[in-house]
Amino acid sequence: MSGLLRRNSGSEALREILLPLGRMGVFVVGAGAVFSAIMLVLALLCRGSGADKLLVDSQGINIVTYTLVNLPQVLIDGVTLGFVYAAIALGYTMVYGVLEFINFAHSEIFAIGAFAGVEFLIGMDRLGVLKAAGPMGSYMYLVLALVVSMVASGGIAMLVERTAYRPLRNSPKLVPLISAIGVSFALQDIIRLVESLTTGQFYRVMPTFGDFDKRLPLFSIKTGQDSTLVDIQIKSIVVIGAAVLMLVGLNYIVNATRIGKAIRSVAQDRNTAALMGIGVNAIISFTFLIGGALGGAAGLLYALKFTRIDPFVGFMPGIKAFTAAVLGGIGNLTGALLGGIILGMLESFAGAYLGTFTMGAFGSEYKDIIAFLVLIIFIIFRPSGLLGEQVSQKA
Amino acid sequence: MKANIVRDSLRSFGAFLNRGRTPYIVSAVLLVLGTVLVYVSPRSIPAFLLFAIAAGLSYFLNMRKSVKLALAVLIAVVIVPILGARNIFYLEVIFQIAVFSALALGLNIVVGFSGLLNFGYMAFYAVGAYLWGFFGSQQPFLLHAIPGTVPPGTKFFLAPDWFYIFIFLGVIVAAIIGLVMGLPVLRVRGDYLAVITLGCGEIIRQLANNLDKPLNFTNGPQGITPIQRPSLPKELLAFFNRLFEPLVGHDVTANQFYNIMFYLIAVLVVVVVIVVTYRLEDSKIGRAWAAIREDELAAQAMGIPANKLKLGAFAVGASFAGAMGVLFAASRTFVSPESFTFLQSVGVLTMVILGGIGSIPGVIIGAAVVTILNVQVLQSFSLFLAQLRQSDAVIPIINFHWKDLSNQLDPSKYQRLVFGIILILMMIYRPTGILPAARRKRELSAPDSLDVPGDTGAEDTGAEHAAKKGVDHE
Amino acid sequence: MSRPAWILETTDVVKRFGGLTAVNKMSFSMEAGRIYSIIGPNGAGKTTFFNTLSGLYKTEEGSISFEGRRIDGFAPERITTLHMARTFQNIRLFGGMTVVENIMVGAYTRLKQGAVQTVLRTKAFKAEEARAEAKAEELMRYVGLKGVGNELAGSLPYGAQRRVEIARALASEPRLLLLDEPTAGMNPAETEDATSLFRRLRDELGITILLIEHDMRVVMNISERISVMDYGEKIAEGEPREIAANPKVIEAYLGRGAAGGNAAELAAGGAEEAKA
Repeated sequence: MSGLLRRNSGSEALREILLPLGRMGVFVVGAGAVFSAIMLVLALLCRGSGADKLLVDSQGINIVTYTLVNLPQVLIDGVTLGFVYAAIALGYTMVYGVLEFINFAHSEIFAIGAFAGVEFLIGMDRLGVLKAAGPMGSYMYLVLALVVSMVASGGIAMLVERTAYRPLRNSPKLVPLISAIGVSFALQDIIRLVESLTTGQFYRVMPTFGDFDKRLPLFSIKTGQDSTLVDIQIKSIVVIGAAVLMLVGLNYIVNATRIGKAIRSVAQDRNTAALMGIGVNAIISFTFLIGGALGGAAGLLYALKFTRIDPFVGFMPGIKAFTAAVLGGIGNLTGALLGGIILGMLESFAGAYLGTFTMGAFGSEYKDIIAFLVLIIFIIFRPSGLLGEQVSQKA
Repeated sequence: MKANIVRDSLRSFGAFLNRGRTPYIVSAVLLVLGTVLVYVSPRSIPAFLLFAIAAGLSYFLNMRKSVKLALAVLIAVVIVPILGARNIFYLEVIFQIAVFSALALGLNIVVGFSGLLNFGYMAFYAVGAYLWGFFGSQQPFLLHAIPGTVPPGTKFFLAPDWFYIFIFLGVIVAAIIGLVMGLPVLRVRGDYLAVITLGCGEIIRQLANNLDKPLNFTNGPQGITPIQRPSLPKELLAFFNRLFEPLVGHDVTANQFYNIMFYLIAVLVVVVVIVVTYRLEDSKIGRAWAAIREDELAAQAMGIPANKLKLGAFAVGASFAGAMGVLFAASRTFVSPESFTFLQSVGVLTMVILGGIGSIPGVIIGAAVVTILNVQVLQSFSLFLAQLRQSDAVIPIINFHWKDLSNQLDPSKYQRLVFGIILILMMIYRPTGILPAARRKRELSAPDSLDVPGDTGAEDTGAEHAAKKGVDHE
Repeated sequence: MSRPAWILETTDVVKRFGGLTAVNKMSFSMEAGRIYSIIGPNGAGKTTFFNTLSGLYKTEEGSISFEGRRIDGFAPERITTLHMARTFQNIRLFGGMTVVENIMVGAYTRLKQGAVQTVLRTKAFKAEEARAEAKAEELMRYVGLKGVGNELAGSLPYGAQRRVEIARALASEPRLLLLDEPTAGMNPAETEDATSLFRRLRDELGITILLIEHDMRVVMNISERISVMDYGEKIAEGEPREIAANPKVIEAYLGRGAAGGNAAELAAGGAEEAKA
């Protein structure tokens, strides 16, 4: 409530920029510290186990050293992934906050963003300008591609809302959900159709340009005669940086602008908001626009990091981002951020250590199952998520 | 206005069809015509559709129940096997319709009757399929083998005729898994429950995908093969050939006869499923499900143990899929995680929603329409495109050579689009489906006029009289 | 004086929602075979109290006994099995089901045939279904509904829906019937019919009735004893004429401007009662 009455002064605006930055820092450091600590305790407990012996035999280091040496890289990967999830999760959480409805098609909005941006870059590549661009130029093209992704995804998200959700707004709760599943499936094949029509292939590969693949060495860890280099890919920095900028921007829009105020009031009570003269339809459209744009940008960042995309690329990240939204407390922007980072870390840690610790019995292929388990356990035992008190009251 | 004219003319046409002997004549003529057409040109799709429509129409026409039953038996046991023996593809289509009807009816119990969304329904089908896939193959002896390798001389674990027992085991095991997957209903409802079931379904698929180590239970993504089929009753094959050879035109081989056999088993299972579903629907259990769907709190206040019944719905729905899973594994002699994806679960949901959520005949029609669309219409489009691709044809104005057409544009690869569009359109324009569920009308003794109480005072005496006579509260 | 046989007895029942205490130390008892009412201004906690009685809410403190047996903490379906039934303030019929089906749902706890008999469609199952259907019809007639058995409950006019709800509750063979504002939204003629129906339920079927009611004419007309709730507490209890004269009760109504009409009615109803 107090948010509605808040005045929009300069210092207030600054606060809305610094506060989320601070939160991100706390979440990243906190989640990283907690995960690292748990991992180290596990490693200490596993000393002398079969996994330990196997490591000593094959790589000449014990399990604790192995864990420590890999830790920085795992953390960096986890944070990168976490910010991508957070950016997607915001789309789910905003729509849920406003309409109390799971926008299943958001994973395809994400995929559309990935394809739009990648197609733009492929086009530029074909024109030859991409390879010719200098270091600054390559960043410019990336920013342009991000804009293309955001426009495409935001536009399609709005279109989807207008055609497939708005007519069902007053139906029983499961009706728009089923429609959303339908949209999700239809969009997957529409992407496939469009991409196949032009080239006969339904997947795309991000063109290589600029120095995004370069690795910046950070430091190296000496273990006996070997030393392990810890480095960070430039594209990871780009992904994190872009995600941080977008998250701060979104936070600013929602918490410090007039339209953000309108969104929050529609989320509180649609009917009262309408009585107060707020154009509810326009606000809902706008919510889909910015949620979709963020999802689209996340799609391009995902493509930048993982290179190959196909029309079904959205499904798993979508489910995981939804998990992140639930984990943090659905409807809560900060919660989506926290959930994204935790889930990214979880996945990165599981991917890196699960195989080694279980001697190959359970490998990184179980990371999806872990994400699903987190989702199920949270929905059952704490549906309001980690930060979701307000939402549980509203529902 | 236009819709009214269409509706009125349809209604008067229906009335015409149902007058006196007309329905008997109409359905006999259509059935004979359809049968002859399919018999003469086994590859013609219009002929098959006419036959399918004739069979479907017979159900809805106003004929005596015994006649309908006799027709159904005649079609299922005589006509379809003969036509199927001439073109095995039809048996395959009808087999799939039967399998998906059972699945859709099972999902309908959860979604339609009790109003709980389940996006992971294929998991139960997977449980049944892997149950027989594991025990009906060499897999129990391959636990320590490297996935994909079979040491020479490995025996099958069980005799093939255990298959029949495993149909029942599939029912039981799937029901148990259904109970477990349904446990979240104790705390969660609505869209969150849908997401949980999606998660559970994906977990089971991923387990099937990954449990090739540490012990090789599922053989991973490659799937388990060969899986045994029940032994072929040779005498029956000989009998079939003696009886129908002149009609079929050739001797049916053992492999073809397997198709007929699986088709008959599937039809048998579907019949059992339909009977069980009807009986459950029209009982206190079915009424309780409906009450929970309408208003869970009021249902509880009326003495309905909502949690128990919701779990029951999950278990019953799952059991149908379990039985069909066993049948599927045996008929394909192969199972792999590919068959149990989210796409498949949504496919079954599409059948339920298209046909009419909660409506038993509707759901079967939904299963038939979607299956025919998938395996016949889309595939024949694909075939057509493939032929064009082989030819030298060119689209004139844009100068497009058909042979340049990518095989990524194969219509059969666009199931998602079909499911998606069906779901969206149905939700927006006809959420109750093609054949909406209707509450059973009972033959009540009271007069059939709407008599609003409170308007007349005279009725009270009659009511009091009845109460003294009948209502007994001790 | 010997202690009467309480059919329902609550002691110090407390129900809170977060910081709000909706029902506070509610002690209440009622004799079998009587018609009692609970009245009070809007938001006084009457319906919440009903919900604790029928098991829809769990109480924080206190005890509830029905026919000498502690039932607080029981699930609603268990309480219904023990022969207590209720209706809802804002009619909660199963709108998509027919009237007969609604009433048959009410008989759920009295039908003994299980899943196996259902699937096998045994003779016993068929006989029970036929009995349930016949009884549903009788109940329809008893509450004054004719020829609407196959109508969807949601399509009936308001007054008829109220009757279906009562029939549905009767189907569970209650010995205690909780009626939450059963005449709300009815016209005077309908209200009169309903009132006489309640009397018949008690006189002919021996059902104990506890009413929440705003219509003071109904309350004063048929209640043998009235409890008044305000701010979650019982502020008065007694026979209708005592309540009508109780200054605390009048204050509770007049103190809240919005409920002034009720107070006027209260006085009017009391006067009527006194005349009778």
